[in-house]
Amino acid sequence: MSEMKKIKNLKEFSTSADRFEGANLLCPGCAHSIIVREVLNATNDDLVLAASTGCLEVCTAVYPYTSWDASWIHIGFENSSTAVAGAEAMYNALKTKGRLKQPDRNPKFVAFGGDGASYDIGFQWISGCMERNHNMMYIVLDNEVYANTGGQRSSSTPIGSSATTSPAGSISYGEKMNKKDMMGIMAAHNIPYTAQVAPNKWKDMVKKIQKGFATEGAVFINAVSPCTTEWKFDPKDTMHLTDLSTDSLVFPLYEVINGKEWNITYRPKNVVPVEEYLAAQGRFKHLFKDQYKHMIKEWQERVDANWEYLNRREEARV
Amino acid sequence: MANTGWDEFEIGAMLRSFDGKIDDIAGTLQEDRAYSPNNSFVASVADWRIEKPVFNKDFCIDCQFCWIYCPDISIISRDKKMIGIDMDHCKGCGICVEVCPTNPKSLLMFPEQADEETELANWPAKDEEN
Amino acid sequence: MAFDKMELRDIEVWDGNFAAAQALRQAQVDVVAAYPITPSTPIVEGYAKFKSDNYVEGEFVMVESEHAAMSGCIGAAAAGGRVATATSSQGFALMVETLYQAAGMRLPIVLNVVNRALAAPLNVNGDHSDMYLGRDSGWIQFDAYCPQEAYDLNFIAFKVSEDHDVRIPAVVNQDGFMTSHTAQGVHTLTDDDAYGFVGTYKPMNDMLDFEHPVTHGVQTEEDWHFEHKARQHNDMMTIVPGKIEEAFAAFEKLTGRKYNKVECYDMDDADVAVVCMGTSVETAREVAKEMREEGIKAGVVGIRVLRPFPFFEIAKALKDVKAVAALDRSAPGGAAGMLFNEIAGSLFNTDSKMLLSGYIYGLGGRDLTKAHLVDLYKELQANADAGKVLTKQQQFIGVRGPKLAYL
Repeated sequence: MSEMKKIKNLKEFSTSADRFEGANLLCPGCAHSIIVREVLNATNDDLVLAASTGCLEVCTAVYPYTSWDASWIHIGFENSSTAVAGAEAMYNALKTKGRLKQPDRNPKFVAFGGDGASYDIGFQWISGCMERNHNMMYIVLDNEVYANTGGQRSSSTPIGSSATTSPAGSISYGEKMNKKDMMGIMAAHNIPYTAQVAPNKWKDMVKKIQKGFATEGAVFINAVSPCTTEWKFDPKDTMHLTDLSTDSLVFPLYEVINGKEWNITYRPKNVVPVEEYLAAQGRFKHLFKDQYKHMIKEWQERVDANWEYLNRREEARV
Repeated sequence: MANTGWDEFEIGAMLRSFDGKIDDIAGTLQEDRAYSPNNSFVASVADWRIEKPVFNKDFCIDCQFCWIYCPDISIISRDKKMIGIDMDHCKGCGICVEVCPTNPKSLLMFPEQADEETELANWPAKDEEN
Repeated sequence: MAFDKMELRDIEVWDGNFAAAQALRQAQVDVVAAYPITPSTPIVEGYAKFKSDNYVEGEFVMVESEHAAMSGCIGAAAAGGRVATATSSQGFALMVETLYQAAGMRLPIVLNVVNRALAAPLNVNGDHSDMYLGRDSGWIQFDAYCPQEAYDLNFIAFKVSEDHDVRIPAVVNQDGFMTSHTAQGVHTLTDDDAYGFVGTYKPMNDMLDFEHPVTHGVQTEEDWHFEHKARQHNDMMTIVPGKIEEAFAAFEKLTGRKYNKVECYDMDDADVAVVCMGTSVETAREVAKEMREEGIKAGVVGIRVLRPFPFFEIAKALKDVKAVAALDRSAPGGAAGMLFNEIAGSLFNTDSKMLLSGYIYGLGGRDLTKAHLVDLYKELQANADAGKVLTKQQQFIGVRGPKLAYL
């Protein structure tokens, strides 16, 4: 095991030499790259990275440019997890055979995918990688929509959100299904480490990423990634939206160890009403019409119930 | 990079991040790296901006909020100090200004064509309301 | 823990699947990511058993689908080592997306395809539908007609695919059941000779070289995509054929077994010829010999390398033949058969006066009998005598019901 990078505070963190570069083509204010930076800067070890087809991929490796200062691969929409698992298998093989070019390194294997790539089309591939317990980390950049293709609903899109394939209208409040509980499903694989993170809580995030890197075996991370384009807010407000998402408990921050030990890692001092979170985004604008106002109350009840559930899981230790 | 012919690039559309060998990437700051012509570091998105951030170091407390929350690796911090903005890579999103905790702010957005020295000279005073 | 070598007899009785599994073991593949499917499953099982018995030092990753199998192979190949897998039919179909990606990313991988029909209706038996499905995927494609060739061609496939001037993945086809499950005598190589032939893997653009980070699998739009695809095709057309010849020559030197991109049997003076692939080649060879006893100068041409297609070799093999039958073992879906079209393309614009007719046969494992081939050679002779094709240009053989003939 390599030595963990020491990050006492933000000043110390800011001495990191980024391995993700600017002049990528992500939208101004995109949270994806904030998350990627926090992940990559959490370690000084070498990295083998993969990305599924999606915003992150199409905006960071458009020929003839790459924004990655580490080994990186993209194959398709559904298989960034397995791409990294294959690379990890090769690392193990060459290690056994004594053929690694730099045998003293401790590379970390990380795959990124959007919620479409992870909750939907790549679900089986991720499940396979987790079940086989590859020594890798899978990170969902969860913006709750197929953003790269222009805002279609995914199984991560929450109820009441207006997406292009579940648009709000005169007789519809938009998306009808509740967001898939990907964290619960992944934890149920009984993998060593599962965590939900948000880039505003950088210390919590870096701690979890480092914990993940220190873990032998499969790690699943779900990162909330507010999307200025599809959530419909001003690009300057990305961190404000992230704050609302964590402080309203719509995106509670927690970790699950070995599928059993649930720990809530952030308890907001002042919990923000869900209504504020919804009101800050154009995708929920229609919910504030009289016709659909009941949805706001239901939202709050659902978030409260989920928080209660998480607290009970934490307490139960089973 | 010029649009070269079919026989003038590496097979498999493979790109290299750096020219030649690099021993310790995470231990090498941007200014010390030999970026390849295919690294987006050498490209610019400056023309995306409508507004630009202007940095006033007189008020900066080096909290590094702008550094960590910048999506475009455009806040240049060295030795724990914020020293400037990478205007080739800044897309003008304005996050740095929003997260800046000082009063008055150490970063403010201005129209792209604004004159930096003039804006610094006319920097707003401390807002007593907040 | 060092792995064990295996003592083989000079001739072992192996079916095509076990022959392929042995070849993967002897090539000391670094990563096999695989998923089982009939009839290729025993390759994967055989390899797993070698691993369990310490005959394999590399990694064996049993994934959850064929798509994941090839995805894992691509990740492993990009990481920088020897990679192989096996599949058939529906599994191959599920892999197709990744086949194009592997070829476009120029990653050497060896894929054993144990040929089987494609549903619907579901069928586990051998035809060439899967082989045909992959023909434009950008992979080098070899075809084995028997277990010996399935064994030999794996070594040749690694050697060609991994060559730094090539870096194109390769398929080794063999017929489902007829080859894969039929045990025959196979002349073996010693472990040392086999590994010596394929050589130690030489990485290139490898993700595990942390001093030279690489980006694989970029996006290219209208300003770059065409150039990359053109490069891929150019290398297939201009570099790969010579590398295959070199590998065939080196293999002959080592084993005495000679392979050709187009295999010709009794073709020196042939008036009529059948062109086919897989086990049908051996059946046709037997019938051709019998036809010669009846005074019909019959020959057989087997396609050994389907991609890059041996355009000029086919033209040369068939230029003096009067009547030729192209045997396609895949439902053509509203067109002439693939071999019919490829052969026609090879001979068009030449001085050849060859008469070409196409036959669709053997779908879903239906036997191609000697009687079918006797009738077929007689039809060809009749065409040759008449100086024109007397039948429709496309006929189905061996199917029940009223005669099916088109074009």
